[in-house]
Amino acid sequence: MRPSGAQGALGARIAALSVVVVFVQIGILSEVTIFGVNIELAPLLAAFVGLLCGSMSGAVAGFAIGLLVDLALVQTMGITSLLLTLVGFWAGRLHEMRDPQGALVPIVVGAGAAGVAFVGYALIEFLLGVDAPVSLQLLRDIVLGIVVDTIVALPFFLIVRRALQGSMPEDPRRRRRSRRTYSTGGLSPISRS
Amino acid sequence: MHGKTVRRRRIVLVLLVVLSIILLTAYFGESSNGGLHSVQRGFMTVVSPIQDGANAVLKPVRSAAGWFGEMLKAKDERNKLRHELAQLRKSVVAERSGRKTAHEESDIGNVDHHVQLAGYRPVNAVVVLESASLWYQTIDVNKGSSEGIAVNDPVINGEGLVGKVTAATSETAQVSLITDSKFWVAARIAGDRSAGMLQPKVGNPSDLLLQYLPSNTQASEGELVETSGTVESPYESLFPPGIPIGTITSIESESNYQVNVRPAVELHGLDNVQVLTIAPGSRLSNLSSGLASLPLSRGGEQGAPPGTGFAAVEGK
Repeated sequence: MRPSGAQGALGARIAALSVVVVFVQIGILSEVTIFGVNIELAPLLAAFVGLLCGSMSGAVAGFAIGLLVDLALVQTMGITSLLLTLVGFWAGRLHEMRDPQGALVPIVVGAGAAGVAFVGYALIEFLLGVDAPVSLQLLRDIVLGIVVDTIVALPFFLIVRRALQGSMPEDPRRRRRSRRTYSTGGLSPISRS
Repeated sequence: MHGKTVRRRRIVLVLLVVLSIILLTAYFGESSNGGLHSVQRGFMTVVSPIQDGANAVLKPVRSAAGWFGEMLKAKDERNKLRHELAQLRKSVVAERSGRKTAHEESDIGNVDHHVQLAGYRPVNAVVVLESASLWYQTIDVNKGSSEGIAVNDPVINGEGLVGKVTAATSETAQVSLITDSKFWVAARIAGDRSAGMLQPKVGNPSDLLLQYLPSNTQASEGELVETSGTVESPYESLFPPGIPIGTITSIESESNYQVNVRPAVELHGLDNVQVLTIAPGSRLSNLSSGLASLPLSRGGEQGAPPGTGFAAVEGK
């Protein structure tokens, strides 16, 4: 069990990061289009918090980020929270069960998070009943949205990791370094004594 | 210890999911004056000074980002505008030739003398926020109810119809663009005067659909589509007649006569807009407040497509 002070520090960092990311998203990135679509950082943030801090932190952060997005953009409340809760939890479970270490992991997780968020949002909107006719271009935009989020996933992951470093349950760099020591034949504490 | 962690994790997940579903259900079912909508408006009120400040500070960054984007598509845009100019010239000629006399118009009953632009008070506003979502096409402006802006007020700019107000606090208002999935408006073809209902195609911001046109409609590509400003009681519209919406790009007449329309307004990167506020106590004001109290459920359930600016739509 982690000390409550460390948990509090992590929570504060995640909260601050969420607010900054949501404001950057709606203040700057909404003006920038790549391949005709905007970059959506909210699903990536929820996924990366889960990937770095675990399923509980991921789920809670996802819910809070979703609520913030729905409040700030005056959207139907609850949809983004629901989706990002699942995204954060899924990424956290991936971290807890498989602990993937490859350089491509953030890209794959980012693509998965964007896919769940975009497709899930469309499904929920359809379930709630869409008034307007839906263009086939929506499919193209969903696919392009996933591609664009996949492209920005790695640099954004590095930013998130940097922002949370020092407060994370396990520091990935420290853990990797210690593993490398054993794999290259370093002495274990037992043989050293 | 491990079992306790697993249990706690599951409980947290279930709690959050259930909370999200409760929020979603409650929000979807309540009217625009309901508790959750009030919370959203409260949040808008709190963050609007931050948005104003951030808008001023980040404007150079946004402009730079926008400049690069604009440069990339400038040539394409130029060709598109040339094509549009040619189409508009054609539509002006068509409109002139098809214009009826004032006497004929009064006989047909298409001209209304009760709703004029004079019944509206324009309020100039600056766009402070642009939402980027496939499903929600909205902007926030820096004027609110303290300037007389209310839900359902039409929003225009120099090029034509931009959208309508969907939420307002004292200092800020949210505008749903004409490409928002929940937007409907009564519109007509300028030359032919055939009226129908216009709504966007979700996922394609350059395509609007004018539906429910009479089967004898005579439309041609390039013709101008404008608000019809209907005042007959079942279809009464809050939008004044004659605001340009876009030009016809194609016609579909296989099953139902409907036309595809390209918006006249470049909705990305809007800076200044004008909100047509309605004088309090007027007939339109009563209509507007009646609409605002309707639940935000989907079309057909409450007699009017949501956020349409229509008092009622019979038989839909």
